[in-house]
Amino acid sequence: MPKTETYTLSMGPQHPSTHGVLQVRLDLDGENILKATPYMGYLHRGIEKLLESRTYIQGVPYTDRLDYVSSMNNNLGYCRAVEELAQIEVPERAEYIRVIVAELNRIASHLVFIGSLANDLGAVTGMIYAFRDREKILDLFDLVCGARMTFHYIRVGGVSADLPPEFAAKCDEFLKIVPEFMQEYEDILTGNEILQHRLHGTSPMTKEQALSHNMTGPNIRAVGIPFDIRKVDGYGLYPKFEFDVPVGENGDNWDRYRVRYQEIYESAKIIRQALDGLPEGDIMAKFPKVLRPPKGEVFSRTEGTRGELGFYIVSDGSTKPYRVHIRRPSFINLQGLDDMCRGMLIGDSVAAFSAIDPLMGEVDC
Amino acid sequence: MFGEGLLTGMGVTWKHFWGKKETFCYPEEKLPMTERFRGGHLVLDHKKCIACSLCSLACPNQAIKLKIVPDAKKKRHMQSYVHLVGRCLYCNLCVEACNMHALSWDKNYAISSWHKEEMEDELVTAEGLAYFHEVMEKAKAEAEAEAKVAAEKAEAEKTGGDA
Repeated sequence: MPKTETYTLSMGPQHPSTHGVLQVRLDLDGENILKATPYMGYLHRGIEKLLESRTYIQGVPYTDRLDYVSSMNNNLGYCRAVEELAQIEVPERAEYIRVIVAELNRIASHLVFIGSLANDLGAVTGMIYAFRDREKILDLFDLVCGARMTFHYIRVGGVSADLPPEFAAKCDEFLKIVPEFMQEYEDILTGNEILQHRLHGTSPMTKEQALSHNMTGPNIRAVGIPFDIRKVDGYGLYPKFEFDVPVGENGDNWDRYRVRYQEIYESAKIIRQALDGLPEGDIMAKFPKVLRPPKGEVFSRTEGTRGELGFYIVSDGSTKPYRVHIRRPSFINLQGLDDMCRGMLIGDSVAAFSAIDPLMGEVDC
Repeated sequence: MFGEGLLTGMGVTWKHFWGKKETFCYPEEKLPMTERFRGGHLVLDHKKCIACSLCSLACPNQAIKLKIVPDAKKKRHMQSYVHLVGRCLYCNLCVEACNMHALSWDKNYAISSWHKEEMEDELVTAEGLAYFHEVMEKAKAEAEAEAKVAAEKAEAEKTGGDA
């Protein structure tokens, strides 16, 4: 009788098909995964601690570096928390601009998801198409804030600068081509048999599993729970806008892909409404240059592109926060990797990892 | 049908193969930077700078090292302005902090270097340093002249008082 035993395969942290520096230790029974353990911390920079040694206003550029693919949403989350703490009222025009840039960033981030999913599954062409269209959003951001990543555009109390005059026309132009390029992805990726085989039925999750891992964002919507903080909390101006929350049915990788795909349309819908309703006015609230929020603590959550992005800030009444904790959606969603990989093949672990769409900058913080 | 999706995808690629080019040859062709582009080296307008060090205070990462020298009339001047490129977050807070609009970006984004030592950027140019010495000398001369006038006045008062 030959003796069999499980063996361990270390995937990453330098592996061609994991985006970012994550090590996953796979316990294998032949080709089947028995257990997948993510080991993280290769990109830890101690951002929470860094924020505690900077003033509230100096902290904003550090939040850019959490989830560096959707920096606008991080800026927004942090600034909303500080504004809540210091009771700053943001002018309406600034709120509108925030919605526009945050949703544009959501589209850009989901395009990176589609691109990297295609890339991880071996379809490099698919990635190039998604990155081509993301480029158009980055050009818009370059126009608005002078940076293509790490935007530092949304500030405590408003936004750093008004939209340039040519922005509205260029954004309009972009919104017009959204259905065009989405149809192209439909042709080149969604209809592709290989992609369908790799995604349909792989890494399914039940509602209970997803909830037990506290997953949020597109990952929880893919299992059929319409949990979107823009709807649930209705923060900022979101209650004013009409949009749907796309949900999946089976909770497999295919649903995770489709949910994000549909969300691009929904974000485009929000941007269209915000552009049409953009009022005139100030873009920055009036508050003292040296910001000293009163003693107290705040937990403010927003819907980041990857899920519930929460900032917990404790103020001791000085110019610097006493404690900052960031609830990073990527980090928490990644805990579901084990459940998603069990019983799947080695190749599916790459698909599962890609479908969670974690960003290591945010995971390790 | 198996293969239909693959063929549709190939169709898209085929269409783009003959379509408009999405890329350009980077080192030969360069895109113009936008008006608000922040990147490249910082540029200091030495004539506008009043050495208030607000930029250095606004910096979240202490990337700006200043050497400020008071002249004979106790007015402050910038002798050395070192931008530590390796520490810089390119957050634009220094440029926004400057009330005199003396700081700006040169928009030359190709700033990679071979050595760590090259990542320190001195913003006070030779011209700026000459200007610095010029104003220092001028202030010294003025202060001396003023002191001389004051001394003469005091002397006159003293002799006047004696008489």
